[in-house]
Order: sequence, then structure tokens, then C-alpha cells
Amino acid sequence: MPDFPLDSRHVVTIPAGGSREYFDLQTRRQFFGRMAGGLGGAALTALAGNSLLGAFSRARAEGLLPPGSERLPHFAPKAKRAIYLFMGGAPSQIDLFDYKPQIADRFDQDLPPSILGTGQRNASNIRQPRLAVVPSPYRFQQHGKCGTWVSELLPWTAKMVDDIALIKSLQTDILNHNSAVTLILTGNAVAGKASIGAWVSYGLGRANENLPTFVVLVSKAPTPNGEGVQAVFPNFWGSGFLPATNSGVVLRSEGDPVLYLKDPRGLSRDARRAMLDGVQAMNAEAYEEIGDPAIHARIEEYEMAFRMQATVPELTDLSDETAETFALYGPDARTPGTFAHNCLMARRMAERGVRFTQVFARGWDSHRSLPKNLPLLAKDIDQPSYALVTDLKRRGLLEDTLVVWGGEFGRTVYSEGALKRDDFGRDHHGKCFTMWLAGGGIKPGIVHGETDDFSFNSIRDIAHVRDLNATILQQLGLDHNRLTFKFEGLDQKLTGTAPAKVITGLLA
Amino acid sequence: MPASHQAGFARRRLFPPAAACLLAAGALAGDAAAGPATSWYALRVQPILDRHCVSCHGPEKVRAELRLDSYAALHRGGAGGAVVQPGQPERSELLRRVTLPADHDDVMPSDGKPLLAPEQTGVLARWIKAGASPEAPPPPGEEPPAVAALRPAAPDYRPFLPRLAALQEEFGVRLVPVSQQPTDGLILRTVSAPARVDDAVLARIAASEIAPLIVDAELARTRVSDAALPALARFPNLARLDLARTAVTSTALGALAPLARLRSLNLAGTRIDATARDRLRQLPALEQLHVFGTPLADASP
Repeated sequence: MPDFPLDSRHVVTIPAGGSREYFDLQTRRQFFGRMAGGLGGAALTALAGNSLLGAFSRARAEGLLPPGSERLPHFAPKAKRAIYLFMGGAPSQIDLFDYKPQIADRFDQDLPPSILGTGQRNASNIRQPRLAVVPSPYRFQQHGKCGTWVSELLPWTAKMVDDIALIKSLQTDILNHNSAVTLILTGNAVAGKASIGAWVSYGLGRANENLPTFVVLVSKAPTPNGEGVQAVFPNFWGSGFLPATNSGVVLRSEGDPVLYLKDPRGLSRDARRAMLDGVQAMNAEAYEEIGDPAIHARIEEYEMAFRMQATVPELTDLSDETAETFALYGPDARTPGTFAHNCLMARRMAERGVRFTQVFARGWDSHRSLPKNLPLLAKDIDQPSYALVTDLKRRGLLEDTLVVWGGEFGRTVYSEGALKRDDFGRDHHGKCFTMWLAGGGIKPGIVHGETDDFSFNSIRDIAHVRDLNATILQQLGLDHNRLTFKFEGLDQKLTGTAPAKVITGLLA
Repeated sequence: MPASHQAGFARRRLFPPAAACLLAAGALAGDAAAGPATSWYALRVQPILDRHCVSCHGPEKVRAELRLDSYAALHRGGAGGAVVQPGQPERSELLRRVTLPADHDDVMPSDGKPLLAPEQTGVLARWIKAGASPEAPPPPGEEPPAVAALRPAAPDYRPFLPRLAALQEEFGVRLVPVSQQPTDGLILRTVSAPARVDDAVLARIAASEIAPLIVDAELARTRVSDAALPALARFPNLARLDLARTAVTSTALGALAPLARLRSLNLAGTRIDATARDRLRQLPALEQLHVFGTPLADASP
């Protein structure tokens, strides 16, 4: 990693901070300072009090804490960082993980009304005259010491069942892609709230001063003609009401990894620095005068961009990876933009202290042609997911890196559209779906939760996506009830206003 | 700090009211020979004996006139005399019997019952070596997990907060509180500029007032080498140490032996070889060891 000592000439001195409390205090300090001279400091001390948190606020306000510890975990974290492999479009739990031999002989039979219940309305059960059960055409086997059942479509994932925890009883409220992804990733189906990566960035602060805290990698879909591909929208990784520095930074696979980061040809780094120094001096002056947090954020972002000009090329240059490592991630790993390449990139982020890396896979929306496309989709993510967990593990990173795999909801046991033995589709399904987690204090080699014989209803240890998010935060040392941000008159939190609970059954 | 002071500190700070009640109950019961319920013996040794030995050497059956269901009985020994020689695990019949090969005629437990795991015989050996006391509290690294979790990871960092920024400036590293809990310690973080951190920097941190607060040293890809390991041994509360892809070799690993609380050690991508094994065995609390990409890993089956 390139080393560039922060030469004091080049650093505009700004107090550590960037948090809302800091600015509140800062504004109060200016107020007291102007109104009552020396009384300001005493008043500030009185405001901050002597509590533990007071000590933090005070230390922060005095600039005593380093940048990056503006915020701290509420308690000692199991994981210092997370990698979220997001299967956009929603993978079919019943064909990958949720083995249902009980319905093997029910091909093309009607879904029993007792199973269907009344809760879920999706396109097919509104429009279709009947809901015909499709048992999974794929073979399942038990794997590992734990004996977890996995479909033949995921032979690599099957090899690591002793390292991961499956949760089969997840539920969501929303059955449209965009809103459901927004719900699982921001805690609310309506766009505009802060994403989970932004919350983690905000809650933990920066570990590496020279890289973003939250990085997003969007992979190409393996399906032909864009079948099953749903759009990914920037609000999935947005910072919402949180300071903009917490927003996910998308690293692109073609051209410049970060748009507009590179200097124009002919502009030297010194010239860029000199220009920045001038701008920053003016910004610092303005900030001293009026204390607007937006100015502070802008100063920070300019400096971060300048540092990233040096660090991003090293981050994205895989020439120091061995042939053995490329082989581990599979044949696609050398091709930028593939899921395999992005998984390898995610490991590099973990090594370099990026707090939250989100890799989007795409194409999982199998309304039609599932037997044709699902094997392609599974193959695309299978070996790379295994490689990521295995690579993290052998390098000693899995113990403090949380890995999460899954999509926005599940898929129906019944066919959408015409049903043939070798051609069918599955509709959106919110009453049960499967995800897996690994590392970062997750109990390995377990299956949590259970579904009914049709993989239709969660029947044991039911968990909402809010509970999943509470659990992810918990492993990162953050209490979802205490990680809040005041906005629109509400203490906003990732898990929203409905009750949420940490899924303790997943924890080691 | 004198040992007695240390122990007193430990007892006052470690045990929650519930444990204190247990302690009081034990005292009331008048079983003075059993020692406190929070002793090393009560927490770690007796549970092993209860599980593996007492069914034949206890109130139900008393084979070879030996009972192992209390400290007094263990101390008394059996038909063959004493079974524990305080300070001398190698001369203690108890330990000899439970560490024999499975097919040996004298191995205990007998009759094909499950043998003790190496971690369990290790506990017995270290307890005997330390004097086989009924009262001594468990030294660092020897507490059962539930008790270990109650012990502060490090001294309170709050008094140091005002100096953290200056210390960071001085050392060119980051010193980041693990959490808002003031006794969770500090992380020594170098990931922003690992090449700035070398043996000299580490020696200065080790000699500073902040050393006991550091529980996690993130030194991967820094320029530290074997010369830094004696300095690392001066971080008494270090629980995690990441030396991945540094120039560290097997030679100096023995210097880490004083790190009684070290749980996780990452040596991936270093030049350590098979001679590291014995040196690493000296770390009593080590749970996670990573050696990927080293001559040691390449040499292992």
C-alpha cells in the first residue's frame, strides 16, 4: 500500500469531528463564546456532564479523539467489518437450500389452501386460475460435519457448510423488488432512509483514512439477454439523512474505478495539492466564521478524494494476487465486473480496513425459464462465495469479518405461468426465504429456523429482515436501538419504529 | 504491583454480586478445605474430576481407596499414596495416569471410558505446576470463559483520552477505543499507512504509559520484524495480534510467551517455519493461529 505521510503543510487543521453532536456543541460553543466570553467553556462542560458518554462528547468536542473514532461501537464488536453479497432479484430458496422431500411427488398438484392462507398476494396468485406445486428438480445432499442439506446447484457452497449459518425463516413485508431491496437494505420500503452500509460507516467511523468506509461493487448478470435482471438504484447504498461521507462509493469495473477522481492529463499532483490548499484555506475560514457542517463535510471529502487518488489504483490492481488465489475464486476472477472478481476485490477491501463492502449479483428474478437460468446464476456466485469465505478464513480475517449472503425475498413453491417438467418459473415470496451468514461471531455449521413442508411459511424461529439487520449491527458492536440519528422529528434507526430483535440463535 | 495486590484487585473487580454470593455461601457451609468457589481449583480442576473421575473415585464407588470429589480427598490420595505433588506435575500420579496412551494398562479413565482432552490435562498440569492450591484464583488465561468475559480487558482508558491525540501524533499510529466500554481497551491501528510503522515505533509504544491499554495490535504489512517481538511482549493485555505479511520469523516467537491473554495470532504470509510450533505452544490462551502462506503451513500435512 502506498505510504504518503500527511505532511503538516498539506493538512488544513480542522477539529476532529463531523458528527451531529459535535456540530451542535460547536454551535453552542460559538454562541456562548460570543455572548458571554469565557463562560463558553464552562457551559460546554456542564452540558456534556460527567457521564461516560459525556466524556466522549467532550473528548470529541475538544478534538482529543482521532478521526475515525468520532463514533465507537457500543460494546466490543465481534466483527470489525462486513461483506454483504446481495443476490438482487431474489434467489429460489427451495431450489438451493430449503430441501423439501415431503413434496417430491406433488408435481403439478394444487397448493393446499391451508398452506396458502390469506396473507400473501402476488401477481400469480391473483391472476392464475390455480397454483401448481413444483417440487425442486434438483438433487439435495447432506454436507459437512453438520449435515446441512444443499442443492446440487451449489457444490462449492456445500463444501463450506461447516463455516456458515443458514437462516431459513426470514420474512419480509414487501414483494416488489425495488421496495423490498430498499426495505432490507435501509429498513424502510420508501426510498430515502440511510442504507445499512451507511449506518455501519456512521456507527463505526473510518478505519482506513485513505479509503471510503463503504464500497459498492455491482456485478454483471450471467443470464442471457438480461433475463431476470432488476435495476440497482443508488438509494440502496445511499446515506439518506446521515452525513454524505457515509454513502457507499461505487467502484466501477470499466474505465476509472471512481468517476471524476483522476486528475486531468497534464495536471501534476503538486498542482492539485496547491489548488486544494487554496480552496481548503477558504473553506476553513468560512467554517471558522459560520460553523456550517456542510463546509466541514466538503473539506473532508476533498481531502479524502485527494488521498483516494493514490490508494484506489493500488486497491484495484490485482497484479500482486497469486495464480493460486485467482484459481480459488474461479475462471471469472480475472474479468473485471464479474461476481468472482468482485469477491476478490471484497477480500482486498477487508484487508485494507473498508468497513462495509456490498457486492451486488444480479439476474435472480426467475419468473420464467428457471431451469435454464438458475444453474447459470448459481454457478456464477457459487465458487466465488466459497472462495471469499475460504480466503478470509485462511488469512485470519474471517474471525472479525461478517459475511452475509442473500436477496430481498424468496420464491414460490408453485409455478408462475405454464408448468412443464423442464420449464417453469417461480414468483416472489415473502413468507420464508433463506440467507447465510459467516464469520464475525456467527455460529458456524448451523441451520436456524424452519419452514413448512412446502417452503411456504416460516414455522419456527421466524425472523423479519429487521431482525437480520439488528443482528448484523450487533456483530459489529452496535445496538440497533441506540444507533440513531435525529431527522424529521424522529430518532431514526436502521430497524425503524417496529420492534426488532437480535437473532440470538445465529450467534456463537 | 505485588502479586497479592493484583489478586485482591482481581477479586474485587471480577466477580459480580452473584459470584460474591456463591463465595459467601461456600464460606457459610464451612468447607474451608474446598477453598473459595472462585478459585482456580473450583472453577477448572474439580469440574474435570467430576466429569471424568468421580463416578469411580467418589461417594458411589471408591476404587483404590481414592476419592476425587473434593480437594481434601484429592490431597489425601489413595492406596498408593499421594496422587498430586504440588509444583511437580511430572511426579504426580494423577497426571501420569490421565496422559498415558489409550492402549496402556494403567490409563485413566479405565474400561474404555472417554479419555481427557489435551486441554483438560493441560489445566491439571498447569494447576499442579503452580502449586496445586485450593485457594489461588485462576491466573490470566486460565479462567473459564464465563469468568474471563467478566474481567476487564484493560485498565480504564478514560484518563488517557485527553492524551490520545498527542500520542497518536507522536507514534504515527492510531489508538482507537475498542468500544464505548472504558475497560475494553484500545486498538493499535496502522492500516492507513502500515509502512510508517517499524520496530522503533513499536518499542516506543511499548515503553509508554499506553501499553497496558492495548488489547489489539493490527500490524499486518507493517515494517516490524523479529526485533519488535520483545516489545510486543510488553503489552500485557494483548488479546489479538496481527503480524500478517511482516518480516517476522520463527526465531523470536518465544519472546511472545509472556502474552498470557493472547487469543488470536495472525502470522499469515510471514516466513515462520516448523520450529515455530514449540514456541507457540507456550501461549496459554491462544485460540486462533493463522499460518497460511508460510513455510510452516507448507510443511504441514
